[in-house]
Amino acid sequence: MSDYIIEMLNITKEFPGIIANDNVTLQLRRGEIHALLGENGAGKSTLMSVLFGLYQAEKGEIRKNGEVVRIKDPNDANALGIGMVHQHFKLVEVFSVLDNIILGVEPATKHLGFLQKAEARKKVLELSERYGLKVDPDAMVEDITVGMQQRTEILKMLYRDNEVLIFDEPTAVLTPQEIDELMKIMKGLAAEGKSILFITHKLDEIKAVADRCTVLRKGRCVGTVDVATTSKEEMSEMMVGRKVQLVMDKAPQKLGESILSVQNLTVRSKRHGKPLVNNVSFNVRRGEIVCIAGIDGNGQSELVYTLTGLMKAESGKVYLGDRDISHMSIRERNLSGMSHIPEDRHKHGLVLDYSLENNLVLKRYFDKQFSSRGFLKFNEIRTYAEKLIEQYDVRSGQGPVTVARSMSGGNQQKAIIAREIDLGNDLLIAVQPTRGLDVGAIEYIRKELLRQRDSGKAVLLVSLELDEVLEVPDRILVMYEGEIVGELDPRHTTAKELGLYMAGAQRKG
Amino acid sequence: MDNKKTSLGGRLASSEAFLSVAASLICIVIGLLLGVIVLAIINAEHAIGDGLLVILQSGIKSPRNMGTVLANAAPLIMTGLSVGFAFKTGLFNIGAAGQYTLGAFGALYCAIVLQLPWYLCLLAAMVLGAIWGAIPGFFKAYMNINEVITSIMFNWIGLYMVNDIMYGKGQSPMYDLATTKTYSLRKVAQDAMIPSCGMSDHFGKLQSVTIAIFIAILFAVIVYVVLNKTTFGYELKACGFNKNAAQYAGINDKRNIILSMTIAGALAGVGAGLYYLSTVAEWNPQVSTALPAIGFNGISAALLACSNPIGTIFSSLFISYITVGGTKLSTQYYTKEIADVITALIIYLCAFSMLFRSKIRALLAGKTRRTGLGKGGND
Amino acid sequence: MFLLLKYTLLYTVVLMMVALGGMFSERSGIINIALEGIMVIGGLIGVIAIQLMPAGSSAAAIVICSVLAAAVAGMLYAALLAFASINLGADQTIGGTALNMLATALAMVIAKGFNGSASAKLEYSNRPFVYEIGPLTVNVFLFIGIVILILSYIVLYKTRLGLRLRACGEHPQAADSVGINVYKMRYIGVLISGALGGIGGMAYIIPSVSSWNFEVGVSGAGFLALAVMIFGQWKPFRICFAAVFFALFKSLANIASSIPAMAALGWTQNMYNMIPFIASMIILAFTSKKSRAPKAEGIPYDKGSR
Repeated sequence: MSDYIIEMLNITKEFPGIIANDNVTLQLRRGEIHALLGENGAGKSTLMSVLFGLYQAEKGEIRKNGEVVRIKDPNDANALGIGMVHQHFKLVEVFSVLDNIILGVEPATKHLGFLQKAEARKKVLELSERYGLKVDPDAMVEDITVGMQQRTEILKMLYRDNEVLIFDEPTAVLTPQEIDELMKIMKGLAAEGKSILFITHKLDEIKAVADRCTVLRKGRCVGTVDVATTSKEEMSEMMVGRKVQLVMDKAPQKLGESILSVQNLTVRSKRHGKPLVNNVSFNVRRGEIVCIAGIDGNGQSELVYTLTGLMKAESGKVYLGDRDISHMSIRERNLSGMSHIPEDRHKHGLVLDYSLENNLVLKRYFDKQFSSRGFLKFNEIRTYAEKLIEQYDVRSGQGPVTVARSMSGGNQQKAIIAREIDLGNDLLIAVQPTRGLDVGAIEYIRKELLRQRDSGKAVLLVSLELDEVLEVPDRILVMYEGEIVGELDPRHTTAKELGLYMAGAQRKG
Repeated sequence: MDNKKTSLGGRLASSEAFLSVAASLICIVIGLLLGVIVLAIINAEHAIGDGLLVILQSGIKSPRNMGTVLANAAPLIMTGLSVGFAFKTGLFNIGAAGQYTLGAFGALYCAIVLQLPWYLCLLAAMVLGAIWGAIPGFFKAYMNINEVITSIMFNWIGLYMVNDIMYGKGQSPMYDLATTKTYSLRKVAQDAMIPSCGMSDHFGKLQSVTIAIFIAILFAVIVYVVLNKTTFGYELKACGFNKNAAQYAGINDKRNIILSMTIAGALAGVGAGLYYLSTVAEWNPQVSTALPAIGFNGISAALLACSNPIGTIFSSLFISYITVGGTKLSTQYYTKEIADVITALIIYLCAFSMLFRSKIRALLAGKTRRTGLGKGGND
Repeated sequence: MFLLLKYTLLYTVVLMMVALGGMFSERSGIINIALEGIMVIGGLIGVIAIQLMPAGSSAAAIVICSVLAAAVAGMLYAALLAFASINLGADQTIGGTALNMLATALAMVIAKGFNGSASAKLEYSNRPFVYEIGPLTVNVFLFIGIVILILSYIVLYKTRLGLRLRACGEHPQAADSVGINVYKMRYIGVLISGALGGIGGMAYIIPSVSSWNFEVGVSGAGFLALAVMIFGQWKPFRICFAAVFFALFKSLANIASSIPAMAALGWTQNMYNMIPFIASMIILAFTSKKSRAPKAEGIPYDKGSR
C-alpha cells in the first residue's frame, strides 16, 4: 500500500481570467494532520473543492491509496471516504441536528423511502460519545451555538465513516478556548486513524496541531515542510513571499475631546425579544482608535447598525460631538460627521451593478458639487472619481466606468475606504475592514486607520481577528452576549486574557 | 488592464445596449418561429401564406392598419413604461393591469359624467392609477409583503370594483344599455376626446388615431431623463440594484418604493386614459371578467426593451403590430389569439434573455470575457 | 345551508390542492406564480379528455382518465417553468407570468380549434364526477383532495424525498455538498405542483357547471391559492385550514342570492367576488411579519457559484 492516503498531483484549475491552482501537488499521509497554509486568495479553498468534487481540475490527477480516482461530485468524494467541514457551514437552519447529519445518506426503507431515524439517532449518539462531540440531536440548528454547529458538521463526516477529513478555516468563528477544544478533537481524530487536512492562515494553530504543512502562494505550491522543524517566521515568509512586518509603528497619542459617546444603548431582537445589545456605554475621542473585540455574533454588528442608523435602538442615547443623534435618519447621521466602512462590502458597501464612479459618490451625489436642481453633474462626478482613484490607488479594468462587481475584493474595499475617508468626517467606524484581503491590502488599510487617528479623527474599529485587535487600537472593549464585559489596554494584555473575556469567562467593570 | 485596441466584436460585446437589442431580437425571432409551429399544427397548409405573412404584413398594409397599430401602441408604451420603471427600482409591477383599470374608470367617469375636457380626464386617469400603484408600494415598504402578490390581489379588487361602479346594476350614468358598454365618447363627450390634430387624416380617417402616440413618446423621454440624469433616478436605481446599500447610503428606501410604485401606477393610468380617450374602444363592464390585456402586455413591452424607456417605444410598436396582425388572420383557418400566444412566447424567452446576452458576448469576444466571476469562490 | 357547505367544500378542495402544489414547488425553492396558468391548461385538457372518451365509458373510467390527463398536462406545462428557472436560471416570477399569459392565449386557441368555431366555450357532462349524499352534493375531487392532503404530509415529512426537497428550498448549497442533486429535486417539486395544479384546475371547472368559457381562465383562483399557501405557512394541514377559510368567503358569492338575509343587502356579484381578494390582503397584512418562506425560494441555483 502507498504511504499516502490521498495524493493530489500537479493540479491545475482555471477560472475565467484567473488560474486558481497552478500545478499544485499535495500528499496526505495516513493518520497525519496536514496544514494547508496560504493567504486569502492563494487557492486553498479551490484546491480543497477540487478534492471534494465541487470543481473539476483541468490538469492533474488525484490518487487514493496510490490508485487514480475521479471525483466528479461530492457523492464520489463521500464514496472515497472524503468529508469536509466548510468555512461557511452547510447546515439547514430549520432542520434538527439529526436531520442535518443524515441528509444525503438517510437510512430509509427500500420501498417508498420512509425515513428510519431511530437507528440514525443511535449511531449519532455513539459517535458523539466516542469523540467527545457534544450535541443535542433534536435541537434546531438555528437555535444552537456556533461551536455546536461545527460539531454537527464534524459528526456529519464521522456518520459517513469518512477517513479523510477536510477542515476549511475552522477556527475563524471560535473563541481561543473553543479553538483549544477543537485542536484536541482534531488530535483525537488523528489518533483514531483519521487523516486530516486543515486549511488556515494562522501559524499558531499550525504549530499547535499539524504534523506537516503545504504552503500555497498565488495559486502555486511553494513547498511542503515539517512543522516541528520549521519556524513560524519561515512559514510566514513562504506564505507571503517576503518578510512581513504587520506590527505597526504607532506615533504617540494626541487625545482630544470626545467625538462619539454612547449611553446605555439597548437593542432587542425583533424575532425573540432577546437583547442583542444590552445597556452599552462607551466613548471614542479624537486621536484614538477604539476596538470592539468579540466572537462573531455577540452584538457587534447590531451595535454598529444602531450607531449608523440601520437599526433602531430600544433605549439609550448616541452623541456625535455634542449633538444627540439617537433619533436621526441615516442621511442626517452621515451629514453630521459619521463615516462607516461596513462589515459586508457587497451587501452594504457597494452597489455592485453601479460603476466605480457612481459608487464613489454614493454618499454625496446630492451635494451641490455633484448636482444642481435635481440633475446630476456627470463631469464633476468623473473628475472627483478620477481624483480618488489616483489618490487611493484603486485599480480597476476601465477606471471610473468599471462596474464595481468586476473589481477584486481588495480594490472594492479600497474604493469604500476612499469614499468614506474623503467625506472628511470626525468619526470613522470601520467594521472588519481587512476581512478576506491579502497581506498587502491588510497592511495598507491598517496604516490608513492609523493615519486617520494621527490626523485627529476618532476611529471605532470592530474586529474579529486577534492580531488586529492586539496591534491596531489604543483601547479594546470586549463584547460578549450584547454587553461590554471588559476594557483592556492592548499594550498590557495577551491573547489568552482577551480570549477569557471573549468567551464570557471573565468580566470587569 | 484592458487592451487599448479592442476588436469591433470586443467593443460590441461590452456594449450593454447592443447586447440588449441583439438578445431581444433573438427572442422575437425564436418567438415567431414557435408561432409558425403553432400555426402549422393547427393548419399546416396555410401556416405561411395565411398565417405568418398576414401577421407580419397587416400592420403596414394600409394607412388604416398602421393607424390601428399606433392607436394601440400608445397605451402599451405607457404600461410598458410603468412596468419598466418599477423594474429599474427592483420592483415587479404586475399590477399595471389593475392600475390601468382604475385609470380607465377615472378617464371615463370624468368624460361621461363630469363632462370635463380631455386633459383633465387624462389627469384623473393618472391620479387613480397612481393611487392603485401606491397601495402595493405601501404594503411592500411598511409590511414587507411582496409587491407581486399584493398587485395581483389589487388587480382583481380593482377590476370588480370598477365593473361594479360602471355597470351600477344597469343604472349607472356611464352605462349604455343599447351597446352594453360605456357610452361612446364620440356621441356624448366630444370635448373629452384626445384631439387628433389632423392625425386621423393620414391614417385612413381612423378616428382613434390621435396625438396620444406623441403624449406616450413624451412620457418615455421624461422617464428616460428622470432615470438617467437626475439624483432621483440615481436613488431609485440604487434601491433597485441593492436595497441594503441604498439604505446604508442614507437613501430613504421606503419612500422610494412607494414613490416608484406610485409613478408606475400613474404611467399605467395614463395608458388607459390614452386608450379610452382616443376612443379606441369602450369599456364593457359585464363581459370584462378578465383583466385588460394591455396591462399585461406592458410586461412584455418592458421585458423586450430591457426596461429601457426609449426601447419601450419600439417594443410596444412591435407588439401592437403583431397583435393587429393577429386580428387580421382569416377566421377560416386561425384565431386572433395566436398573436397573444406569440407575444407570450416572446416574454417567456425574454425571461432568459440574460442567457442570450452572455452567449452573444462570448461569441463576439471569444473566450476572453471578463466578468464578475473573478477569483473562483476563494474567500 | 347545504348550498353553502357544498360550495365551501368545492372551493376548499380546489384551493387546497393547488396551494399544496405551490407548497411543493416553493419548498424545493421555485416560486410558482404560474399556478393560475397551470390550472387553466389542466382544466382545458381535462375537459377535452372527457369529451374524447368513447360513448358508453363507465363513470370510473371517465374520471380516472380525465383526471390523469389533467395532471399530466399540468406537469408538462409546469416543466416549462422548471426548464426556464432551473436550467436557465431565469427570473421565476417573470417566467411564471409569461406562462400565465401564454396559458390563457393557448387555451383559447386550443378550445376554438377543438370547437372548430369562434367560441372558446366547451361543453361537457359532469355527471360522472358528482355524487349525492343525502341532501348534500359532493364531487369526486373531495376524495382525491383528502388523499392528496394526507399523502403530501407523509411525503414532505416522513420520507427521504421530502427531507431532501425541503433542504433544497432552504439551503441548496448544503444539499449539494452532501451529494443531493438540487436540479432534480427542484424539478420534482415543480412537476408535483404542475400535477396538483392541473387537477385543481379541473376541480375548479367541472363540478359546478357543465360548460366553461376559457376566455375567463380560472379568474384568479390560482392566485388565491398562492395566498392560501402563504397563509398556510407552507405546511400541509395549515394550508388545509387556510383553504377552508378562503373557500368560505368565495362561496358567499355563489349563494348570496338564495339566502334572503344576504339578498336583502343588495350586494352585487362583483362585490362578493372582491371579498376573497380583500380578505386575503388583510390576512397577509397581519401574518406577514411572522411569515417564514423557504429561505432559498426564488433564487436560481447555480452549481458554479457554490
